[in-house]
Amino acid sequence: MGPIRRFLALPPDSVPKTVFVAVTLCLLASMVVSAVAVSLRPVQEINKLKDKQINILQVAGVYDPEVDVLEAFAAFEPHVLELATGEFTDKFDAATFDDRAAADNPETSVALEDDPAGIGRQSRFVTVYLLRDDAGAIDRVILPIHGYGLWSTLYGFIALEANGNDIFGLQFYSHAETPGLGAEVDNPRWKALWPGKRLADEDGNLQITVARAAPPAGADFHVDALAGATLTSVGVNNLVRFWMSEAGYAPFLENLKAGEI
Amino acid sequence: MGVRNFFDRIEPNFTKGGKYEKLFPIYEMVESFLFTPKTVTTAAPHARSYVDMKRIMTYVVIATIPCIIMGLYNVGLQVNSAYETFPPSGWRAAIISALGIGFDASNPLANFAHGLLYFLPIYITTLVVGGIWEVIFATVRGHEVNEGFLVTSMLFALIMPPSAPLWQVALGISFGVVIGKEVFGGTGKNFLNPALTGRAFLYFAYPANMSGDTIWTPVDGFSGATALSVSSSAGYEQLAAQGMNWMNSFVGTVQGSIGETSALACLIGLCFLLITQIANWRLVVGCMAGMIGFTLLLNAIGSDSNPMFAMPWYWHFVVGGFAFGMVFMVTEPVSASHTNVGRYIYGALIGFMVVMIRVINPAFPEGMMLAILFGNVFAPLIDYFVIQANIKRRAKRHA
Amino acid sequence: MAQTRREMLIDPLVDNNPITLQVLGICSALAVTSSLQVAFVMSIAVTAVTAFSSMFISMIRNQIPGSIRIIVQMVIIASLVIIVDQVLKAYAYEISKTLSVFVGLIITNCIVMGRAEAFAMKNPPIASFIDGIGNGLGYGLILMLVGVIRELFGSGSLFGITIMETVNNGGWYVPNGLLLLPPSAFFVIGLLIWAFRSWKPEQVEAREYKIQVVEAH
Repeated sequence: MGPIRRFLALPPDSVPKTVFVAVTLCLLASMVVSAVAVSLRPVQEINKLKDKQINILQVAGVYDPEVDVLEAFAAFEPHVLELATGEFTDKFDAATFDDRAAADNPETSVALEDDPAGIGRQSRFVTVYLLRDDAGAIDRVILPIHGYGLWSTLYGFIALEANGNDIFGLQFYSHAETPGLGAEVDNPRWKALWPGKRLADEDGNLQITVARAAPPAGADFHVDALAGATLTSVGVNNLVRFWMSEAGYAPFLENLKAGEI
Repeated sequence: MGVRNFFDRIEPNFTKGGKYEKLFPIYEMVESFLFTPKTVTTAAPHARSYVDMKRIMTYVVIATIPCIIMGLYNVGLQVNSAYETFPPSGWRAAIISALGIGFDASNPLANFAHGLLYFLPIYITTLVVGGIWEVIFATVRGHEVNEGFLVTSMLFALIMPPSAPLWQVALGISFGVVIGKEVFGGTGKNFLNPALTGRAFLYFAYPANMSGDTIWTPVDGFSGATALSVSSSAGYEQLAAQGMNWMNSFVGTVQGSIGETSALACLIGLCFLLITQIANWRLVVGCMAGMIGFTLLLNAIGSDSNPMFAMPWYWHFVVGGFAFGMVFMVTEPVSASHTNVGRYIYGALIGFMVVMIRVINPAFPEGMMLAILFGNVFAPLIDYFVIQANIKRRAKRHA
Repeated sequence: MAQTRREMLIDPLVDNNPITLQVLGICSALAVTSSLQVAFVMSIAVTAVTAFSSMFISMIRNQIPGSIRIIVQMVIIASLVIIVDQVLKAYAYEISKTLSVFVGLIITNCIVMGRAEAFAMKNPPIASFIDGIGNGLGYGLILMLVGVIRELFGSGSLFGITIMETVNNGGWYVPNGLLLLPPSAFFVIGLLIWAFRSWKPEQVEAREYKIQVVEAH
């Protein structure tokens, strides 16, 4: 009888056997788990990337399930934007810049005093996307926005026409609002209300409103509130107006209108 | 005595061994509704009183009469007032026109008649659908159809918004009767208030039809916020701008569910219930104390961003379903605490919770329904601790 | 073996269902049943984890020291759950987003632990595997039933395919919002248990107390 067989023949409750089983099992399990995790990581990373890109494609109105996402997304130009100046910066690599991490980092973000969108800290840098037409001129800009609704922070994108004032579309990709009420922000019929609306009037005053009744500025600036979801609608109104204000994208949109981008 | 003879003649068919033995509950229901019950509890452990279950339930229904009258008047008033700007439409308007009653909002009778046309379909639906469930369960389980259902159905109809679609009314009362009461063994074993259970079901299932600004006056295109939703968005000082002052909220000529707008009518009902000793005054005292106490505390704390903090207690009392809930639901004996000390605590818990939900929870402007259901769930626990404390105290005294 | 393999597979579906009879695994049943597709993936995940963990545990059951028995089972179950989670993230990303923490929580799902401890520790691997499949399917069956009710009446669709066009999309059906909230699964599961026990009265538990009629003296 060899030493191995003798060892296996030990009663399971003996100390050496207990230690042996524990160690072997842990080693085996950790090897299997890490092997799986490592080998699947590339696929998962692509999934995560695609997930975000699909949202951008959708809000820009160019999503086609038949076309490969990565390929379709190649048409978009990511840029890291410094909000205060409204100009692109090359301090960060746009392909890897993480907006949410930047909002948590005290070096790249500011704590908001006046915080209608309920976001606490705002990153000074955000990733925006440009879609150019065949001639190379800017066709649409896609800007990330987020803010607090009733129960949760809504994360989404707003797509604007090249004039920086006409809305092409709005879409939220992450939220936890009440199913059937606030969660109707995902309803295609409600999202269809956004295209064609305008942000500011001729004098440059921000007029876009999400409310039950149209504002004095007129129907061009009015998106009907969600039925029965007062607080989510107020939240969307606040966050859109916040991000389009001076604290948000207004400097960038000025530059865009002036043709300096 | 023709009717009595008829009942005596057919009774053997329904008693044990008879042809229609299974249908005894239905026979019993009709018979005991018409006559005083023949079987009286005589054995020792039962307290004997001339007030039987049927009498209690009848009294509660009587106590709701002021609310019904005020509710009918107010629904008609709101609709007729709205018709001054919106054209009358629908079958109700056709009936009113055909009868030559007119849509004059200053004529109480016209208002009353118009309100009746909104209330009756809801009430009849509640009675028929809920009644069918009662009879099914009574037949299957072999117990009697209980008069408690008359109270449940009346309360349920009164806490519906006048515009409630009838199929939702039917669904709500079904849920209330089956899940709120019958699955736990029927009247006397329901730890939740069945009417409120049904209302809560509808509130979460069809929020668009059960809350908001367009449902309280069933006129197309009309939008009128309740006092509570105005207060929570703009502060109660803004109520005057919407034509609401304390007096008309107290009398009940404002937006709200059919029977719960008038605190005055609820108070009349409360007097009746207290005099007949059907409602336990401790529950009412506890509930008022909890509401007033917590409101005063919030008034003192104050808030810059939440205008509801400043709402005084006498406003909390007259708006929303507080008065109605306190008079008819907090005092419901089965789902409340059963010990005297427990009754104070139970009442206070509800009074506290209703202010908590109204003021601090952003999603629900009204909190009475949820507060009472919350209290219902805690009632047995409160009783348990009261009894344990009592046992300890006595043990110490006799140690 | 007292049970045939066929019985082992069929028995947990109705007669010894982990949810309706043993009332295990309720937490995830509440959380993942608002859409049928998610419930379906969850059922498969739980079935796979239960079957394979039972099998592996049974394979080494004679070597497992009694003193660290539960830890050994947990390590095996946890490893399998992580693998399932990783696979879902790689090949079913959308669904894994909806399932979120609930895949991870399969580790704490009492059904998996229960079968490992009650069955796999005493039976050979293949029988344990089949037992795991059976219990996973029993769990899945209830999940699917609840999922059908909640998605059909809550959103008017099944597997995301519209069956009844909802009012918000211009149809006639007014969706029942309560069914989209997790607490509604309590009612649905409760009613299912009621239906099961009316159909099979032997599942009704004995009363804890009984009111007796005592002759007056």
